[in-house]
Amino acid sequence: MFLRLLYQSFRRQQRRKLLAGFAVTLGVAVATAMIAVGVDVGDKINRELRSYGANLVVYPAEAALDVRVGDQEVKPTSPDAQLIESNLPKIKGIFWAHNILAFAPILDVKAEGEGRSLWILGTYFNKKLRFGIDDFQTGVRTLYPYWKVEGAWPADDTSEALIGTRVAADLHKRTGDIMTISGHELRITGILTTGGQEESAVVVPLSVAQQIAGTPNRVDRVYVSALTKPEDEFARRDPDRMTAADRDRWYCSPYANSIALQLRETFPGAKAEQIRQAAQNEGTVLSHISGMMLLIALAALIAAALAVSAAMATTILERRHEVGLMKSLGATASTIASLFVTEASLLALGGGLLGFAFGSLIAQRIGSAIFHSRVEITPVLLPVVMLLALLVTIGGSAAAICRALSLDPVVVLRGDA
Amino acid sequence: MSVRASMFAHLLKRGLLGRGNRPLIAFVALILASTMITAMLNLNYGLEKKLSYDFRLYGANVTVAAPEGQALPPNAESRAQSLLGSDALVVPFAFAVAHTASGDAVVVAGTDMASVQHLNEWWLVSRWPSEDEALVGAKASAYLPSYDKGFDLSFSGRLLHVRQAGTLKTGADEENRIYLPLGVFEAWTNLTPSLLEISVSGPEERVNSALAQLQSAFPQAQVRPVRQLLEAEGAVIRRMRSVMLASTLLISLTVALCVLSTLTSSVLERRRDFAVMKAIGSSQKSINALFAGEATVIATFAGITGYTMGSILAAWIAQINFHAPVAPQIQVLPMVIVASVALALLAALVPLARLQRLEPAGILKGE
Repeated sequence: MFLRLLYQSFRRQQRRKLLAGFAVTLGVAVATAMIAVGVDVGDKINRELRSYGANLVVYPAEAALDVRVGDQEVKPTSPDAQLIESNLPKIKGIFWAHNILAFAPILDVKAEGEGRSLWILGTYFNKKLRFGIDDFQTGVRTLYPYWKVEGAWPADDTSEALIGTRVAADLHKRTGDIMTISGHELRITGILTTGGQEESAVVVPLSVAQQIAGTPNRVDRVYVSALTKPEDEFARRDPDRMTAADRDRWYCSPYANSIALQLRETFPGAKAEQIRQAAQNEGTVLSHISGMMLLIALAALIAAALAVSAAMATTILERRHEVGLMKSLGATASTIASLFVTEASLLALGGGLLGFAFGSLIAQRIGSAIFHSRVEITPVLLPVVMLLALLVTIGGSAAAICRALSLDPVVVLRGDA
Repeated sequence: MSVRASMFAHLLKRGLLGRGNRPLIAFVALILASTMITAMLNLNYGLEKKLSYDFRLYGANVTVAAPEGQALPPNAESRAQSLLGSDALVVPFAFAVAHTASGDAVVVAGTDMASVQHLNEWWLVSRWPSEDEALVGAKASAYLPSYDKGFDLSFSGRLLHVRQAGTLKTGADEENRIYLPLGVFEAWTNLTPSLLEISVSGPEERVNSALAQLQSAFPQAQVRPVRQLLEAEGAVIRRMRSVMLASTLLISLTVALCVLSTLTSSVLERRRDFAVMKAIGSSQKSINALFAGEATVIATFAGITGYTMGSILAAWIAQINFHAPVAPQIQVLPMVIVASVALALLAALVPLARLQRLEPAGILKGE
């Protein structure tokens, strides 16, 4: 009997069920999409912010003072106070290796060329490296996406070079010209604009700079770009003074400081620091953006819940006559209530599933349209959203069911209520 | 007033006020929709401002550098400041390569400590110097004698004895330098600023016009944008603009559609009213006008209430998140009222069109 009532209710009142189901579906869809986007937007914006360049630097502990103002002077460094190039691929072996987006070594050399003293900057452009069984490519092209090259990028391990726009103007050099530096002939493949001091340098493959400097397998500094978690109180604490459990938690969080520590462990005798201008400020931007999106998702969730409750209340209030009839035929309040609750639950489950699918689709569309990448939807979201849909649908119906039950069937059936 | 018009007004009044709490759900649903629309639009307008403020924390986005080995004109700082207005932050820097007592070369910079503290809030400084003290970069401090004694610097044969106030950590070139208050630096070296670091607030166009203004004011100098910062800022703001637009559309549309189903039901509920009116001879036009009038009045009030609540919601979200509220945007009010009225009319007219096809007798009999 109960099942037949349930079946008939869905068969006969298709409009009402459709409207209520429609509201549940939409509500769940907007909640799913906003939560998915809100949770993921931090990671997406983090990647955008990494276009700012490196946020970590590794340098030898013994490094001499850098005496440079703009592009005036470069002091030759002693090979002892340098890092070993062959250690570089190990960066991909640290705990947070997946968060390392790019890195590039730098070797500064002062050399004679074209009749004057020139600043030669050796680095990786887009060098193929191998760590264990993983091949990867890294260099300034990914580390500094704002470096603009007029012409073509040089290939690593060749005698090609980029020339900074200011030196190019001073030396009257153009793309395609050959320049001779300390006996090495370099072909200029492009002119480099960065908005920074690199515009006064000749940028060459690292191997060329090492040959000019006579320091094989050595680099001065390594710049690293890593996805980090905004710094909080806990991140600023000194890991040496933590309890073992705290230290593990600290080590296994992608804070700039903990990644710096892991880099330090990779290069014996080196120091690794966060570049505060990048690391600190991107933390502010990131926490603001993700905080706001989560608050918006929360507001959307509450609004969707209210809208669904209103829709459920309306459909039940419309059915006062039915309640009156059932009551006068001897149905108990609990039978009637359980009928309505079962109906609401079915609507919630059906609408919830549909809404979840629809919401995931919307989140994906937003991800691919705006960030050109997928939005991660955690499987945990499905049970959470379904539970919320159930709670909201039943909760929204509850008040209306009570009201319908409290009415005298006689009054209702006469049409006075 | 004609009899017709007064009857219409009477029915409208009864419809709005005289039916217990039945229109309440519709009213609440409309308020809900307008609240969300208002909150999203307000946040949309406010967000860019908040984000560009966050990006100003990175420091300068424009630099003015004198040609190699020269200084900027004497009043460069005040000229740049008056050119760009008071919301721009202009910080002068002068540089010299000096030697410590042990003979190590070190870069000494003179600057305005108060404004550099404001410009580069990310500098980690153990103690900011007072008038005649020095701020020493973390790496440079290894080359100096211990803290409290003070140290000597020599430049072109002139000696300067200063005390160290604190150390500076940045993770970049600044750590190699010693910073002195500009007055002390100028008196010691006779050098004047060769670099201005400027933070211009505002959108991209504002920065570009500042660049042009500065270049024409200092034709000899190199005026350059800090490209890496502007590009990162531009990328993030563009993305967030799209994210907010998508969220606004998504939330507004779905909440509106959700509400629409509630509203439609509440109009259908009143098919008896409709049938009675039709049975005693009112024209379809006047019935439509009555329902539409009712919907418009309810929707307008709901829009105004929703605007207020949505503005409060947006301000609250911004307050929690950015520690400063977003101001309510008055241009949002008409948009919200229009949206609310459109929603209510849509919800009323669709079921009315359906009811028109039915016979009043049938409805009244309860079919």
